[in-house]
Amino acid sequence: MQEISQLDRLIHEPARLAIMLILGGTGEADFLYLQREGGFTQGNLSGHLAKLEEAGYVAIEKTFKGKVPLTVCSLTGKGKAAFSEYSNRMLGVLRPGGSSGHRTR
Amino acid sequence: MLAASPGRRAASYWFVDGLPDIVLGVTLLLFGGLGLWWRIYARSPAPQFDFFFLAAGLLLLFWKGREILDFLKSHLTYPRTGYVQPPEELPETLAGRPDTLITLSLRPAPPPDENVTHFNTRTVTVILWWCFLLSGLNPWRRWYMALAMPALAVTLYALNRKSERPFRWWSALILALTGLTPLWLDVPARLQSPLPLLLTGLWLLAQGAFTLVHYLRANPYPRVTAGVRA
Repeated sequence: MQEISQLDRLIHEPARLAIMLILGGTGEADFLYLQREGGFTQGNLSGHLAKLEEAGYVAIEKTFKGKVPLTVCSLTGKGKAAFSEYSNRMLGVLRPGGSSGHRTR
Repeated sequence: MLAASPGRRAASYWFVDGLPDIVLGVTLLLFGGLGLWWRIYARSPAPQFDFFFLAAGLLLLFWKGREILDFLKSHLTYPRTGYVQPPEELPETLAGRPDTLITLSLRPAPPPDENVTHFNTRTVTVILWWCFLLSGLNPWRRWYMALAMPALAVTLYALNRKSERPFRWWSALILALTGLTPLWLDVPARLQSPLPLLLTGLWLLAQGAFTLVHYLRANPYPRVTAGVRA
């Protein structure tokens, strides 16, 4: 059970976990795509992205596609490493037998 | 049934507006039409070189197609439903095999990453090779189209049925039925070879337009552009 307490609390939150999953699987995505895919409200997504950016997990770039402004988000190297570690810890916790030694029948 | 992963959803999203079908359909119609014009006015044996027009069109598509699509999507798609990194095309060869063998194997190749597409290998290449092979066959005259177009439709449907860009069964049926065209129309033999290309291009264009109209109606232009607040 110690592994659970060692999970990255920044990622171990449903909304932020969803953001990390989407960005990890797609490469980069803009704010609107994240909002629609994650089912977030605008303010909710803004807040979570700000926390992830502050921690250095997500990079946010305001750019243009032609004349259309976009706010593009992507995982940083630090964010990819943190997400990878989080995933490994979760898999270790959820694996039958797990690290606690308890077996389910 | 497991939900699609974010990467596979992103790959499917590239086709949600029908624009890739429209761009490919326009390319086939434009350069196939040039080939048809060449066949009508060029003197023998020059008509056999009409496929160079198609080759030029496809080279242009492979070279600039992504830029054209990105431009169109930046005006139509990204403001409505957002932007996500476009899917990468599956590499040209897998373990040294030519992409035609991958295409004919009917076995979905494991993607190196989930945000990938097989559009070039399983749609563009199939159409190109099919039409190229058909252009050299003329034994059954009007009947070969009635057999070949259903075969093309079944191939496209089967190869893409589990991909990020599946064709609907009724759409494949429409493509198959276009093979009956020479049975109704008296098309001269020397003009029959560009027909599969033109019919396929028209089918793709119609399909893409249908998808685009449906997408635009379902996703009106937002009144306020979303952005990150500090």
